[in-house]
Amino acid sequence: MTTAQTAMIRKTPVAYAQQALKPKMGELNGMEVALEFEGASVENARKQLLGVTDVSCFQRFSVKGPQAAAWLAARGMNTPAAINSWDEAAPGTMILRLGGSEFLLEDQYSGDTCATLGKGFKQSEVAGVYKVQRADAAFILSGSEALDLLSELCMLDLRDSALGTNAVVMTQVAGISATLLRQTLNGQQVYRIWCDGTYGPYLWDMLTEIAQELGGGAVGLSCHLKT
Amino acid sequence: MSMRLPKQAGEWISRDKTVRFTFEGQEYSGYEGDTITSALWAAGVKVLGRSFKYHRARGVLSFANHDVNVMVTDGNDTNIRGDVVALGNGMQLDAVNTDGGVLKDKNKYIDSLSPLLPVGFYYKAFHKPASLFPFWEKIIRKAAGLGVVNFNYPRITKRKLNQHCDLLVIGAGPSGLSAALAAASEGLEVVLVDENQSLGGSLTYDYAGSESARKILEALQAKVAETANIHVYTGAYAAGYYADDMVPVVTAKGITRVRAKAVIVATGVFEQPPVFHNNDLPGVMLGSAAQRLINRYAVKPFNKGVVVTANAHGYRVALDLLNAGAKVAALVDMRAEGQRDDLVGELVRKGVKIYPASCVYEAVPTRDKLGVQGVVICPFDEATGQANPGKSVNIDCDGIAMSAGWAPAAALLYQAGTGMAYSNDIQQFVPNRLPAGVFAAGRVNGVYCLQQRANDGMRAAAEVLRYLGKRAPEVMVEKQQGPSPSHPYPFVEHPKGKNFVDFDEDIQIKDFINAAKEGFDNIELMKRFTTVGMGPSQGKHSNMNAIRILAKIRNLPVDKIGTTTARPFFHPTPFGHLGGRSFHSHRLTSIHAWHESAGAFFVDVGAWSRPAYYHQAGKSKQQLVQEEAQAVRQSAGIIDGGTLGKIEVCGPDAALFLERFYTGKFADQKVGTTRYALLLDESGVIVDDGIASRLADELFYLNISTSNAAAVYREMQRWLQIWQLNVGLVNVTGAYGLINVAGPAARDIVGKLVSVDLSDAAFPMGAACETEVLGMPVRLVRVGFVAHLAYEIHMPSAHGLNFWQALMEAGAGHGIRPFGTDTQRLLRLELGHHMPGYDTDGLTNPYEVGAESALAMDKPFFIGQRSLKIIGKKKVAKLLVPFVLPQEYSGEMPQDCNLVIDGAAIKGRVTSIAYSPAAKRIIGFAYVDPAKDKPGSVFDIRTDNGSIVKATVVETPFFNAA
Repeated sequence: MTTAQTAMIRKTPVAYAQQALKPKMGELNGMEVALEFEGASVENARKQLLGVTDVSCFQRFSVKGPQAAAWLAARGMNTPAAINSWDEAAPGTMILRLGGSEFLLEDQYSGDTCATLGKGFKQSEVAGVYKVQRADAAFILSGSEALDLLSELCMLDLRDSALGTNAVVMTQVAGISATLLRQTLNGQQVYRIWCDGTYGPYLWDMLTEIAQELGGGAVGLSCHLKT
Repeated sequence: MSMRLPKQAGEWISRDKTVRFTFEGQEYSGYEGDTITSALWAAGVKVLGRSFKYHRARGVLSFANHDVNVMVTDGNDTNIRGDVVALGNGMQLDAVNTDGGVLKDKNKYIDSLSPLLPVGFYYKAFHKPASLFPFWEKIIRKAAGLGVVNFNYPRITKRKLNQHCDLLVIGAGPSGLSAALAAASEGLEVVLVDENQSLGGSLTYDYAGSESARKILEALQAKVAETANIHVYTGAYAAGYYADDMVPVVTAKGITRVRAKAVIVATGVFEQPPVFHNNDLPGVMLGSAAQRLINRYAVKPFNKGVVVTANAHGYRVALDLLNAGAKVAALVDMRAEGQRDDLVGELVRKGVKIYPASCVYEAVPTRDKLGVQGVVICPFDEATGQANPGKSVNIDCDGIAMSAGWAPAAALLYQAGTGMAYSNDIQQFVPNRLPAGVFAAGRVNGVYCLQQRANDGMRAAAEVLRYLGKRAPEVMVEKQQGPSPSHPYPFVEHPKGKNFVDFDEDIQIKDFINAAKEGFDNIELMKRFTTVGMGPSQGKHSNMNAIRILAKIRNLPVDKIGTTTARPFFHPTPFGHLGGRSFHSHRLTSIHAWHESAGAFFVDVGAWSRPAYYHQAGKSKQQLVQEEAQAVRQSAGIIDGGTLGKIEVCGPDAALFLERFYTGKFADQKVGTTRYALLLDESGVIVDDGIASRLADELFYLNISTSNAAAVYREMQRWLQIWQLNVGLVNVTGAYGLINVAGPAARDIVGKLVSVDLSDAAFPMGAACETEVLGMPVRLVRVGFVAHLAYEIHMPSAHGLNFWQALMEAGAGHGIRPFGTDTQRLLRLELGHHMPGYDTDGLTNPYEVGAESALAMDKPFFIGQRSLKIIGKKKVAKLLVPFVLPQEYSGEMPQDCNLVIDGAAIKGRVTSIAYSPAAKRIIGFAYVDPAKDKPGSVFDIRTDNGSIVKATVVETPFFNAA
């Protein structure tokens, strides 16, 4: 038995970028994640103005293929009818339709829908459905200045009038491929961003650098959990 | 002597806020709101710069950034446009392009040499004798350009933002303001951009001594201020018109890329100078410049001036001058019929003598040539363009205001694809074919009457509304009434020349005539030969005049001459603005922090940052690479391969897809095995290679090179669309980590973590399986790229560090050592594996690298197969061979890309070369003449220092693994 076998906690893909900030870390869904950076009062204020939170630890499950929608529906998942839209798949679980036949489900905070679906998936037994291994870096961008920040990173029109409530956009953010949507979390309108985890440290750096210039900054997950 | 006027209604300065600065070492003060130029002119400073070529004294010309007479440096930044840049407290300013200051510029003697320095002289001089060219080049390079680049300029991030709106209105004069208000009143989200610090355009200065225009302005400004759906940018210019209707708006803070559903261009016009002898002296300025000085900054342009005009605007300028307390000694009208409206009577009543059908023949300089002391006026035949100096009149004055016409500020319209036509009614190019979604209004559209300009703005707004599917009434705009606002040929020839057309480049009328004589009589050629319009103001004050001159020379109508290309950016824009935040996206594996703490020296591989080797104090890179390689050969090494491309090909047609995509066969590949996968393009050129592991009947797992992964995945997607096979492609490059343990001890080390039987019999080279390690589902592959015994473990990437640490711990007793990509390149070379990208280039086909065994030519199809069938019938021109240098070789080390030569002929090149501790000699790959591909053949390599090294072709591997 090696040391690693006794401590198989995953690291958030953003860990490398966060280490200089020395956040208070904690575990959620088997992943070590930044809970707090500079204290609740500072981070609550940032959250209202411009906060960046790493939520890579949320559980995810993704499938694609011609039978993916039917397979999910057969398991009681509510799937969005429109391409590039999102909805609630089950209580506490959001589902993004990424194109015609690809779906990403994400449990908000600590649900277990994704884990259940993952355990029940046997590739060899399912025709036309392919599991997509995910390792996203995922962020919550909150606060009144979020659009100002995004206007530097993304060319698309993300104003409320242009970005539908349930719209999902797959675009470039800071020059890398990312998925973005608008969501209401705990009563606050926020933007959600997902990117390949290997780009996570880079995107975290960009988001927090601009956020700091605009008066905001990093916000730990605790700030969202406690609300 | 102060030229500051008493408070002017609507002035832009705050008199309660004094700003102190120095210019050329002298202390001055101005007011907040002043520009550098207005503050200096108010302080009585009239020599503000020296011209680029002849170093002639220059003052105000356009006072609108349409010329570069006033360019200064503050010691940090350079080429600051004094006419429009706000004065700052503590500024220490000097004019650029002088040697010793504007007053005592040591280079002013060049003006007297000007007859020897016509345009194009440098095309014909200095190149003979060739030996002297370095001498001349040094002088020319020193003389060329304006300002001095500050290589210590601080990096100040300028944001590049994106903004979206329904309507972008460019230009906030009467037309733009009216358009914005009309559109906003119908609910459109409007962005309004103007390069001035305040809205209004000509309403902020062109008053003709009256209050009426200013009252209109105040009303419009108030309406805009209370309209929430108009977003205003002042001090900002629309820098270009790009595809997808993207217009970058440049401000001091950065660039905002505005994308609008419709655009109204209401950019107005540039005033064009009439051309006469000494029209560049300090004190000679455009009429609109004089008005701006007076009405925006409360500065008197001169005390006693002459107005030379060829339109009604000159009369309005004269009235503004009088209103400011300047004496107008004469108004010289170049038109035969002069002006016939109330303006004439008003001027006459105020005692201004009007000289119709006359011109300013020359401006008389002061003794020191730093200003104006008078003008010579003489009759002017408008029809022939000839002056009659025999009947001249001399008038004393200290300034001249010029108003001869306008050129449309149509750069954005041109860039948007607008067709322009020349209107003889107004002697101006106007839009006659606008692209969808683009609209023009105001003077750029050929509408000059103030009321009609407002109407034209509303007309354009109505058209925008209809374009966007809304209802809007028709708005009528009356055509230009009365005489043309621009003169067709306001040029006065003079035997002494110095009648400037382009003030940036010191180009005179005779320069155009000479250019035409040389055969450069096309506007684009003439532009390049004379450099007209190629200076920093990009022809804003000169291009239209150049076109008129060329039309006269060629005896053609202006519209037959055409215009030059108007390219972005509208004004020169700092690199810092263009660079923005400088996004440099990069990917890191989950083990990156460990590598960093272990001293990794990182290199960029594609988007990834990878360890090249691991630094240790006191050891060279070469030494460390050799040590890392020896660890792999003697015991075990470990490398982070998480960067490799990883693609799953799933579904019933997965094998068929790979058969078509790659050159080899996959349909009969057994589950649990791997095969080499070689990818070509359709011309048969090697693109990439990798390993295909068949993990299930309908699941292949592709591992491809790091830097090609994204491109290969895109190609897979493209071909899948074409072939329409029942296949799912999943790019899991970032989702899986990959660790390779290589070396004789690899089996022992990996065996501590996995329950799979790793013996050669049970898990031979090329075996692959899915299993569990550390409780995690992983993929295990037996590989042989860097060592004969090596295992790759593919795990969920978030667990990469856990696995790495577990393997390091498991290998501690074996002396396991991390190695980087530089070592990896050596290790694969020792085994004789070539690498696409290193040992191939953009033209290499499989026959040239001896990859015939990877080609299943008997398949019905694979990408590039048809080309290979053709290529295969031809004789190869070069072949990649493994070679060694003599064991005792100690001369110049050949490098990658050194040439393989045969006498004077180039036969190939070295693609990879390194000292191999395993082979105990220098080994490599090189392209050679096919006649020399047999083991034992000897060929020559020419090293960087020119020495010739003899290399011998061998077989691989380069060392005895046993």
